[in-house]
Amino acid sequence: MAERDFVAKLDRARFSKIEVLERKPMSIDDCALYPLFDDELLTLMRKLIVPEKQREIGVAIVVRARN
Amino acid sequence: MSRDLMRAQEIKALVRDAYRAVNGSTTRVAERLYSGEELALVPESARSGALGLGNHLRFARIEPGATVLDLGSGSGIDTVLAAHRTGPNGRVIALDFLPEMLERTAQAAREAGLGNVETLEAEMEEIPLPDASVDVVISNGVINLSPRKARVLAECARVLRPGGELCVSDLTIDEEDLPPEVLTHPAAWAG
Repeated sequence: MAERDFVAKLDRARFSKIEVLERKPMSIDDCALYPLFDDELLTLMRKLIVPEKQREIGVAIVVRARN
Repeated sequence: MSRDLMRAQEIKALVRDAYRAVNGSTTRVAERLYSGEELALVPESARSGALGLGNHLRFARIEPGATVLDLGSGSGIDTVLAAHRTGPNGRVIALDFLPEMLERTAQAAREAGLGNVETLEAEMEEIPLPDASVDVVISNGVINLSPRKARVLAECARVLRPGGELCVSDLTIDEEDLPPEVLTHPAAWAG
């Protein structure tokens, strides 16, 4: 899910004052710290994702919103 | 059952199996996300099972006496830190759909000497708590695992009191940037 979709879903759930307070890019090497990303997926990502994108395949965000 | 609901059940089963299969220490994840002062409050059993993506607790407004709901408590690291902040007059409800994870959270709370942590085996798409019963909802890398994210957020809104806050860390991706072979890989749902 993209950040804009996450924020839109919060808005549809009637949250207000939605703030994205932190954005940290996640690289394939970051993913490798998590056992949930298995070796097969990591190998696939390294093979298929262009090198310049491998440093940011996703973004870890912190979101705060008020009910 | 509709095709979409069947798919949702398949995804949940994938996530469940992936989390049950996790073994080995992820202390390095905890060390990247939390300060030394924070980690000093957390038992090793929780640090070694850290699977979060961020440290939203730095931004969460948790007051003494508050009721906090931790969606997907996992090994319990955020539950323990939140329970220290609510103090004995507050409480943290640790929700997870895996009994094994809830046992880890309960163990971490016991080891930390906390008596204000309750565990709740449930799915985040159907939270068995009354309306407006929670002050703060926290979650770390969990909402993205749900095939029904809008439903999860609606449930968070329902259980939060008016003026209550949701403060979460989560993974966002731009699907157009990733090849379909990666997006459709089973492990991508759990990771």
